[in-house]
Formats: sequence, structure tokens, C-alpha cells
Amino acid sequence: MCSTCGCSSHGQGTQIQFFVTGYDAKNSKAVEEKLLGLPGVLYVHIHTHDGETTINYDPAKTRLSELTAVFEQKGLQAAI
Amino acid sequence: MEVQVMQDILGSNDKLAAENKKIFDEYGIFVLNLIGSPGAGKTSLLEKTIGSLKNHLRLAVIEGDLFTSKDADRIADHDVPVIQINTSGGCHLDAMMVKKVLSKLDLQNLDLVIIENVGNLVCPAEFNIGEDTKAVVLSITEGDDKPLKYPLIFKEASAVVLNKIDILPFTNFDMENARHDINCLHPGISIIETSCRTDNGLDQWCSWLRAAAYEKNERMKKNNG
Repeated sequence: MCSTCGCSSHGQGTQIQFFVTGYDAKNSKAVEEKLLGLPGVLYVHIHTHDGETTINYDPAKTRLSELTAVFEQKGLQAAI
Repeated sequence: MEVQVMQDILGSNDKLAAENKKIFDEYGIFVLNLIGSPGAGKTSLLEKTIGSLKNHLRLAVIEGDLFTSKDADRIADHDVPVIQINTSGGCHLDAMMVKKVLSKLDLQNLDLVIIENVGNLVCPAEFNIGEDTKAVVLSITEGDDKPLKYPLIFKEASAVVLNKIDILPFTNFDMENARHDINCLHPGISIIETSCRTDNGLDQWCSWLRAAAYEKNERMKKNNG
């Protein structure tokens, strides 16, 4: 986390971007909250209008398949 | 009270943290890593906690600060063992720093060790120091936006203390929003509202800590035969 002081033991984690189809104002908020609740997910930013979804997470704590499962559970299609 | 000056972090922190934890486990001691920003009220909360628990649990405190023994001096007034670690500018405690002071504690006669980390919401979240769990103190004056801005500590901690609620009416802190964001980051986490000025919520906080310490003490007694 703290890259400026150089003390981080785990670096900055991984940032991944999905393009998701099917968002509306309600389900995008639900997806954001569900993703944030996963272990190691530190940041989620969703552009509802174009489906761009940015996630910062620790792959050691949550697998990519667990991220995509959140979209699937909401009936959404996600592409990297 | 001793002031330990620490420099040069060496070796694998996680390995050393596991060694510290093993030592604490052997003695059945519950260890809390208390984290929060400067001025969040960590030391005030500690003072109140000591007052409430010291007749029920044998406890000691390790204080982490960049410089000075001001916090340790406050804790020492409460007649519990306290060790000050000065990091000489370092922004967090690490496992080596804690390991070096363990010999100063009478581990045989302790149930609970509270380690007050250096005031910082970022770096201490990344460094295990041998604790059983972390708790984060967030004060009302810091703003309800902090959980999403500093997510890791709220992920890592098992309890959040929202402190200084006595001044809530005089701020624009949105308690509902703060609770919502914390729950999003860490579903099921314990959120406890406190005021060290009015004592509101301190019973709940101390009950949480006492229960956690008792649970470990009993579990380790069984495991250690």
C-alpha cells in the first residue's frame, strides 16, 4: 500500500478491468458492494453507462473466477 | 518502563510474526494490534480499557511511537506493565521490533497484551506482528469517507471502534454511511461506537475484547494440556 515510504511488504496488488454488459443503476451498485466484500478486494469503480469496471485486488486472497462469479450471479456478462 | 529504540528491519516479517504468535500461544496470551490515525483516540481508549479490564485480566501494553514515551507514560499511570518501542521515524511496528521486547514481559503472568501501533491508517495494516487480531480506531473527526479511502485496515481488522461519538452532533460525519461502507468492505465485522469522554460504548468494546481474550485463554489451555 505505502509505496512512497517503501515499506510495503505486499506491493500494490493487481488491477484488473472488465467490460460488463447489462448494468443499470441498481445492479451496478449491488455488484460494487458484493465485490468490495470479497477478501483482498480494496477498490471497485464502475462506469454504469459503458460497463467499464476497475478492480484492485490481491489474487492471493480472491481468485479471478470469484470476481467473475459476482457478475454471473447478477446475470451480467463480463469480458476482460 | 523501558524505551527501546529500533532501526533496520531485517528478515521476513511474516516468519517473525509467526514466531511471536507461537510464543504468545504457548502462554495462552491474547494479543490485540490496535491501529488508527494519529489523534483517533487509541491511547485514550487503551486507558479506559485498562481501567475496565485490569481487575479481570492480567494485561500488559506495548506502545509504538516514532519518538517520545508520552503514551507509555500515560499507560504507566494505570499500574500495568508497559514497554515503549520508538521506531525512530518508522511508520509502523514490525514483528522484529515486537520480538525484541518480548523478553521484557512476564509472559507467564499475562492474559492479554495490547499493542498500540504507530498512528497511521496505511502501513500498520500490512505488517503482522504476532497478534491474534487487529482492531482499528476511527474517530468522528476523521470523516466517514475514510473506510473506502483506506480499505486494507478495515479488511484486516476484526473490529472497528468509531470513537469520539460525543461530538457527532457538531460534525457532518454520516454514521449510517460509515457503517455501510465498513460492512461492504468487511461483512460481519464488529462495529462499536464509543466516546472516551462520556464512556458511551466502552462496555461493549471491553466485552468484545474480554470475550476474545477468554476464548483464546481457554482454547490454548486445552491445546497446551
